[in-house]
Amino acid sequence: MGTINVSKKYTAVEKAYLPAILIGMKITMKRFIQGFLFRKSWTIMYPEKRRDYSDRFRGAHFISVDPKKTENCTACFLCETVCPAECIHIVAEERDEADNSYGVAKEKKPASFDIDLLRCCFCGFCEEACPKDAIKLSTNYEMATYSREDAIVDLDHLKRPMNGRHEKKDS
Amino acid sequence: MSNPTIEIKKPKEDLNYTSGLRPVHSDSNPDAKPLPKITIDGKQFEFKPGDTIMQVTERYKLHEEIPRYCYHPGMPIAGTCRMCTVEVEKAPKLMTSCSTPAADGMVVHTKSEKVMKSRTGVMDFLLTNHPLDCPVCDKAGECKLQDYNFEYGPSKSNFKEEKRVFENATTKVLSDKVTLNMNRCVHCERCVRFTDDVTKTNDLVMVNRGWHKELDVADERGLHNDYQGCLTDFCPVGALTWNDFRFQKRSWFLDKKASICDRCSKGCNIEVHSDKDIVYRYVPVFNELVNGHWMCDEGRSSFQDLMNPKRVISPLLNHNGSLTATSLATVLAEVKKSAAAASSVQLIVGTDATREEAALLKDKSSLAFGRSVTVHFHNGFIRSSGEDKKLDALLRMADKTPNTRGVEEAGLTPLANGEVSADIVILFRNGRAGTPKLSANQKVILWGVWTLDEVKALPTTNVLALIPGLATIEKEGSFKNADGIVQKFHPAIEHRGGAVSAHQVIGLLTANK
Amino acid sequence: MEYFDFLQLIAKILLVVGVCLGVVPVTVWFERRGAAWMQGRVGPNRVGPFGLLQPLADVLKFIHKEDFVPKNANKFYYYLAPLIALIAPLCALSVIPFGDKAIVGGREVVLQIAQMDSGVIFILAFAGLEVYPLILAGWASKNKYSVLGALRGSSQIVSYEISMGLSLLSMLIVYGSFNPHEMVSWQVEHFWGAVVNPFGALVFLISIFAETNRLPFDLPEGESEIVAGYHLEYGAMKFALFFMAEYIAMIMASALISTLFFGGYSLLPGMDFLVSFIASFFGFGSVGTTNVTAVFQFVSLASKVAFFMFLFVWIRWTLPRFRFDQLMDLGWKILFPLSLINLVVVTLGVYYFNR
Repeated sequence: MGTINVSKKYTAVEKAYLPAILIGMKITMKRFIQGFLFRKSWTIMYPEKRRDYSDRFRGAHFISVDPKKTENCTACFLCETVCPAECIHIVAEERDEADNSYGVAKEKKPASFDIDLLRCCFCGFCEEACPKDAIKLSTNYEMATYSREDAIVDLDHLKRPMNGRHEKKDS
Repeated sequence: MSNPTIEIKKPKEDLNYTSGLRPVHSDSNPDAKPLPKITIDGKQFEFKPGDTIMQVTERYKLHEEIPRYCYHPGMPIAGTCRMCTVEVEKAPKLMTSCSTPAADGMVVHTKSEKVMKSRTGVMDFLLTNHPLDCPVCDKAGECKLQDYNFEYGPSKSNFKEEKRVFENATTKVLSDKVTLNMNRCVHCERCVRFTDDVTKTNDLVMVNRGWHKELDVADERGLHNDYQGCLTDFCPVGALTWNDFRFQKRSWFLDKKASICDRCSKGCNIEVHSDKDIVYRYVPVFNELVNGHWMCDEGRSSFQDLMNPKRVISPLLNHNGSLTATSLATVLAEVKKSAAAASSVQLIVGTDATREEAALLKDKSSLAFGRSVTVHFHNGFIRSSGEDKKLDALLRMADKTPNTRGVEEAGLTPLANGEVSADIVILFRNGRAGTPKLSANQKVILWGVWTLDEVKALPTTNVLALIPGLATIEKEGSFKNADGIVQKFHPAIEHRGGAVSAHQVIGLLTANK
Repeated sequence: MEYFDFLQLIAKILLVVGVCLGVVPVTVWFERRGAAWMQGRVGPNRVGPFGLLQPLADVLKFIHKEDFVPKNANKFYYYLAPLIALIAPLCALSVIPFGDKAIVGGREVVLQIAQMDSGVIFILAFAGLEVYPLILAGWASKNKYSVLGALRGSSQIVSYEISMGLSLLSMLIVYGSFNPHEMVSWQVEHFWGAVVNPFGALVFLISIFAETNRLPFDLPEGESEIVAGYHLEYGAMKFALFFMAEYIAMIMASALISTLFFGGYSLLPGMDFLVSFIASFFGFGSVGTTNVTAVFQFVSLASKVAFFMFLFVWIRWTLPRFRFDQLMDLGWKILFPLSLINLVVVTLGVYYFNR
């Protein structure tokens, strides 16, 4: 037993340290010239230019709607069941006959549908569990809010039109 | 003929929940005739003559052996669903196990290839018209169609045509308690047989034939029996749903704990279904000695009283004429002070107290209050257990409190004339017992489960204090029911408010010198 | 003192202080922009053209911030520290000659605020004062991290002052004078100090990095270990004072090393020709030629200072921070003996050449 010494002996040049500093300064000077003269940089000027994300990117949630703007959600609680972060909270109720107009009749509807974005881990399980393709994750990644309360989004917020909604992509 | 009506007598053993689903054994006496034996899947079982194959499996708790839709141990046998068919050796075809009497030396295979193929076929047929609305259906998670389809069903349907839709019965309100969705029905007719043979009210019938066979109410009275909740329990699919529970919670979220219904003196065995200590429904549990498979609607809805938002769950004290929430220690100190100052104190124990609470209050209240306290019981519905009677042939009792016999047994006497006669009256009740007659200026201290409405409805305005107590499903104890059966129960949910048990209150009062 | 003397003194003070304070925002901007370029980033480019107004925006922000004083702070020292930090390097700058002489209204003006024979001693004294704001700020803030930063800073500055003083001493022996003006004159006549004593110049360069608390010697601030070190509890304009003081100290150190080792205001190679060309082109007399020379002397000093400022930034983004024991090892075990040996060698050399 005992410790194994892995440190190596330094050569005289390495010990002098100054040559290494000069090499380092050469590198930074090269970068400086690249940046200063040739305007080379890896920065994306964010608000004007945006990084392209793949369609598989999992951003803010939305709830898809039918042509009459009725949510496709039937409050089946499968997303709430599968959610590992327990961030989805649904209250179900009976849907009025009048709202039951388009497509498959939905006798049940969400009275409230809240997602706590701060708890959400964006795993996308809800999207996979949903039998109606109602809840989906958009490619919208701008979810900053001014307060924690604002990060709990409700049904109206989830139904709103926004960028990154892919309503028809896989239906 | 003096009596022109013709009675069709049915043997009482027909409702075989009274026959006992227990294994039977041959008498050890060598002279007695040995019981017949049947071989099911290579194992020999003894049975009582007259049992069907299904009932033999029930006796030996082989619940997983034979799937069934129409068979229910509490109802007469119909043999309509064909799900329970088994292979009997030497029989040319598959036999329905629910209706084939077991015979000595019979050899039955419940899992042979032929049987499995038959079950797959039955499932395929049942699913031709069953809608794929499990996400919306409240039965999902406890649905027999889901379970058996998972186990035996075909992975793909062969049915290419349009599914049958009952336009008028998709959401049909049968009564204020039960809603029907006819699309989901698999025509097992358990509900029809229940109203015919168990409640004997003949509420439901099947109308039309074949493709158009539809469940409907028999006459203009509609669905009117007192056991409608049971329909929703044994409906194998989500066709009949209980309105109180409809869309409230998915079944897989529910915690299931056994308890006793305290809505009447029958003491039905129940399962409390709750999530995060909020009760969503009561479901009856089979007990052959008490309630069989059933439970009345009144008891089924009784959890609403406990989940009432107006239930008082923090100690209240009279402050300048109005009841104000404060700490338990303050309330108990004030209670003890006013009890000591009063000329006489009466403690009225409601008959919804457990046997343990009754004994405790009888023995320890004088010690706890530091002065002599006379203890009586009060029921509110009947004077004593002798007056209790059945309201119908099944379960419902006239005494709407659970423990009249237990309180009497503890040695308490009823309140004379139902009137109180003391300076201060302490009313101990748990939400079920009635309140005795009170004069408009009677000083009272309330203790136990009260709602604000109940407090306001009291004739007296002189309520000194209120000590919140635990309800039946929140505490531990035992009841003696109308039949003299003592049933012990444990907490089914945890109380999340400020209510404390009677034992704790007595302990605190005794410690508070 | 005559009226004219007073006026020219005021003018020189205004010039030096004005240039220093005016250069600070530009330096801050350049430090951030240069850092960005060296790291393949863009840097501040939002406020004004090329982000040049960013320092202004920063100042606005500093003004609007809450003027916070920690509850248990020693108020007097707490307020005193940033003032000393700012004033000490400015004072040291007063003995740096930024030109030979100019002729205004027929009178000679020496381009140096305080013409002292003991100028270098004065500089050393005020450079030594730089340890006080660290200790005062760290101790008065009543914060453990601040005290740690102050301890580190004071021991570091004291340690490196020795090697800095020794290498300075070797140059004093070469120049035979304490007067910065005479030092520059010596370099104009002979060579740059760095040519005579390159080793002393190197030690001096390393030492002033340590003296000004710049990377790789910014242990008193050490963001990753002690948050922000001695100025942790400073906010708003008081922090801005520390911030400015750091850059003025850099300017002072750059001016000092230029004066001592790199010819001070002496004209850069090629500028002689330029001066004579301009003088002959415009037909200046001796007075005009002197003034044009003074301007170019100022420019050459400024460009030397600018180079060293760039070196500060350059080194900062090249080298990581030292560990504290490595720092002390370098100061006491390497630089101190080496500068002692250097002093002996230089002394012997000067004795040999002047014999």
